Amino acid sequence: MTQKDKFTSFITTTGGKHVTRRSLVKGAAGVSVAAAASTAFAVPMINAQDAAPVTFWTTHTSIGFDALTQIGADFNAQSESSVVEVIQRPPAEVDDSSSLITAVRGGEGPDVYLLDRFIVAERAAQGLLQDLGGLLEDSGENPDLSEKYVDFSAAEATYNGTPYALPFDTDVRALFYNTRMLSEAGVDLAAWDPANGVLTLDQVAEVANSLNVEDGANFSQVGFVPYFAQGHNYTWGFMFGGDYFNYENCELTPDDEEVAAAAQWVYDYSANTDADKLYAFIQTAMRPGAPPTDNPFLQERLAMMINGNWMFQQFRNEIPDVEVGYTYLPVPTDGMESTTWAGGWSGVVPQGAQNVEGGYEFLQYLCGPEGSRTYTEMNNNLPVLRELLEDTSLFDENLTWFVNELFPSTRNRPPLPVGARYWRELENAWQAIYLNTSEPADALATAKENTQVDLEAGGYCPIAQ
Amino acid sequence: MSTQADSESDRVSTSVAQPIVTQARRFYLPTRRERHQLLLAAIFVGPWIIGLLAFTLYPIYYTVRLSFMRYGGFNEPVWIGLANYRRLINDDLFHTSLWNTFYYTGLAVPIGVVVAMTLALAMNQPLPEIPIYRAILFLPSVLPLFAISFIFWALLDPNQGIVNEALRSIGLSPPNWFGDVRFAKLGIVAIAQFGAGQIALVFLAGLKGIPQHLHDAAMIDGAGVISRFKNITLPLMTPVILYDIILGISLGLQVFIQAFIITKGGPANSTTFLVYYLYDNAFRFGGNMGYASAMGVVLFVITFIIAILVFQTSSRWVHYDLT
Amino acid sequence: MSSTTLSQIELRQRDRQRANRDRITRRINQQIVPRVILIGMCAVFILPFYWMLALGLKSNAELMLYPPTLYPHSPQWGNFDESTQVFPFWSFARNTLVITVVTIIGAVISNPIIAYGFSRIQWPGRDKVFLIVLATVFMPFPVIIVALFDIFSRLGWINTFLPLVVPMFFGQAFWIFLMRQFMLQISTDMSDAARVDGANEFQIFFQIILPQTIPALGVIAIFAGLHAWNDFLGPLLYLLDPDKYTLAIGLTFFQSTATYDVLFNLLMAASTLVVLPVIVLFLLFQKSFIEGISIGSIK
Repeated sequence: MTQKDKFTSFITTTGGKHVTRRSLVKGAAGVSVAAAASTAFAVPMINAQDAAPVTFWTTHTSIGFDALTQIGADFNAQSESSVVEVIQRPPAEVDDSSSLITAVRGGEGPDVYLLDRFIVAERAAQGLLQDLGGLLEDSGENPDLSEKYVDFSAAEATYNGTPYALPFDTDVRALFYNTRMLSEAGVDLAAWDPANGVLTLDQVAEVANSLNVEDGANFSQVGFVPYFAQGHNYTWGFMFGGDYFNYENCELTPDDEEVAAAAQWVYDYSANTDADKLYAFIQTAMRPGAPPTDNPFLQERLAMMINGNWMFQQFRNEIPDVEVGYTYLPVPTDGMESTTWAGGWSGVVPQGAQNVEGGYEFLQYLCGPEGSRTYTEMNNNLPVLRELLEDTSLFDENLTWFVNELFPSTRNRPPLPVGARYWRELENAWQAIYLNTSEPADALATAKENTQVDLEAGGYCPIAQ
Repeated sequence: MSTQADSESDRVSTSVAQPIVTQARRFYLPTRRERHQLLLAAIFVGPWIIGLLAFTLYPIYYTVRLSFMRYGGFNEPVWIGLANYRRLINDDLFHTSLWNTFYYTGLAVPIGVVVAMTLALAMNQPLPEIPIYRAILFLPSVLPLFAISFIFWALLDPNQGIVNEALRSIGLSPPNWFGDVRFAKLGIVAIAQFGAGQIALVFLAGLKGIPQHLHDAAMIDGAGVISRFKNITLPLMTPVILYDIILGISLGLQVFIQAFIITKGGPANSTTFLVYYLYDNAFRFGGNMGYASAMGVVLFVITFIIAILVFQTSSRWVHYDLT
Repeated sequence: MSSTTLSQIELRQRDRQRANRDRITRRINQQIVPRVILIGMCAVFILPFYWMLALGLKSNAELMLYPPTLYPHSPQWGNFDESTQVFPFWSFARNTLVITVVTIIGAVISNPIIAYGFSRIQWPGRDKVFLIVLATVFMPFPVIIVALFDIFSRLGWINTFLPLVVPMFFGQAFWIFLMRQFMLQISTDMSDAARVDGANEFQIFFQIILPQTIPALGVIAIFAGLHAWNDFLGPLLYLLDPDKYTLAIGLTFFQSTATYDVLFNLLMAASTLVVLPVIVLFLLFQKSFIEGISIGSIK
């Protein structure tokens, strides 16, 4: 039994220390970042007594994580009061906060956490996050986040009129196409140049259908799969100009006229192209976590797709020789303004954080000009800080277009305490619609019913905008 | 043989084992001998009792209490009485999850018993190279379920998977396994069967426990392989089969990881199992921890009832120690 | 009567032929048919394992090919090494090993003791209480996650290995059930005789019953070890520092939340490495395990 006691104490004392850190690296870039990071980390050890530790958790991996590690190192180099430790947590679905929740409940939560912005409202309503309003005011910042950050990002980080997160980065959706495939099909590429305006859905559908090639019972090539990649329920609803939540009635509105019209369009498109065949073509690529090598657009078997700006990285890595074009998301009627939506990440301070001040200090750095800049440079996502957006040196011509042309008309998913449930229900409804297993009206009505129950059961109404 | 009778009576029956000398007593007071036995038992069984209280009963009590509350994990829980249970009755997705779970269990358990028995019989063959076969049949059950899920994902992929490729080459048009509402659950059942190597070992131990002289006597009487299986092997294996059925039902009702990794509850909620839905409500949909707890209570009650049913009816078909 | 003699010879000849046919049939039934079936079954069971290896050795480019190649055309043996760079493989492996060993110790100690109390001692209410043991088999872990977590955090055990191993020292319903079944099958002759001779229960347990349950103990050790090695949800929730993570968590690092770059071949390569020690150990222990079963079967 003595052996066991010794062993137990070995385990528990190892558990008490937070000093050791491993950096998880990949590739040469990763190694050099780690080297730089570890030397930077080693330096402040001299005044480790003075600097209070800050724990920062993230579920990012590979390049994203390397960038965050670098930001952590840079922060430590310039801060005298805090020392941040960047810890990688196991990846999970973006709305799966199980390990964060259990950690915070157990009193072992981090001081700062990188949370998908779309889920901020829900976690705030749950009581997981600290209200940043007071901290912002005390440090002389404006609690209204839209002053520093782009509108749509500020909106998502705010729940019930209170800021709960600082926006970190963003990603926007557009329509990508393979110029070679289109021109070989005889399409006039001039119309597809974004400088020449917005395409209508009819135009897109016509071209898409002409590109479908059958091979026996399957498609070997397809022009367009409306629901692939970023062709979510929200995307199409926004494209048609719909709204998903009515603040006055505190009512979810996936049955909104425009959203219903969008659903009908996709339903019909699937039906006309043969819903099962279309799905069979795309199924491999649609499974959660499918590698880029499964993406038929990258295999040059799919001519167009709705996707986000992060794809440029993949294009560079996987298909550097293919000429990829992009344009606004199409609109249902000619003359309408094109709408897209953005997601992104944000930094939050969870409840029970042991070092709130240090955490907030790091949060400001992370989501401020220095952290955001480093992240944009290394990871190639778009920043949301207004002052950074004005710095054109950060973006290549592709990203510049995204920033200049798309941002003004970019919307965000409504920050709701039932955001995760709503997303799940909308995706389910969407699948029923594009597989033609359910009428659009029915599917959307079910989604609304199921989520509305959650909303009412939680006693959240009314919600301030 | 007299001692055999004693032990047989308390093995087969589920009633209280009384000492042989009884007197009519109005109040049940433990006799001195019984107290002595209880004390001994307490020492041996003690660790389990402690573990039960700490790691099972208290969490269950906690969960039951929570099922009457609305709770997001951080703010104070709010008492709402039976509201969660009322919600469960009306929750379509919950009904779907129950159906999915029962469907899966109803398939996986019988198939599992058959597969385990087949594997054990195969592993029991008196061939010189049998250790090689045993090792191969046992190996997949050694892989972590997480890894097997990924592998099956690739294996059953409609375009990249080798299984569909093979089926196509013989002229069939194979379905999109994990993407088809009809076949997704079957895919998960298949994954579970690959873990049959573990239970097959237990079956094998059971097979080895059947005295060879029974088989020899039967063979002399002219019984063939099938007849021997039906009349000797099967009856003597019933305790192990019971174990497998109970194990299978309990695991089947808890099915979660494959759905969590591969199908994410889809397509169209066909693989949203009860525990998956519970997990979603506890950790993804904010504020629903009470609701998730209510689901847990329901799951527990259902499985408890099934367990009792199976065990009670088991005395009709399970034979302990017929030799 | 020469005709009778001839038919006697013919009869004997026919008997011999029948005996030969029987021998051949028997040989087919005993030697060939089982082998064919076994090889078929093994092919099915080895298929996922093979596919894991094949995928693990493929290069990124080859992963993209459609239809998929049946074997890696240019095996990338470097994938194994590369996969250990994605996360600190050896540190995670060490953690997993520690947890596994302690789990096995706990299981092998506690379960026989508890099962003995339920099978070899008569006491009032014994079988009714055992029903409770069975009932706990149905306690799905996710149901009590929140509650368990509260208990462990109050004990200060979060972020240690304790929540994962300590419950193993208090018995697990499956394994108690298994040991109890095994112990019930052991004849009571010897233990009764020993009791008459004045031996106490502990002596009976250690010297008589326990040695006879070695095969079952072997099975429990294997089950317990696998349970620990493959445990996923437990480490995910209880372990917070990266230097305590296990291999199961390590494999999840091949997925990605923000940038969809699942390195499927590296994931398979890492999975192979995770599985390899278990296979080796099994092959090593398989001999003694089989001996244990044989010893049990002689009874």
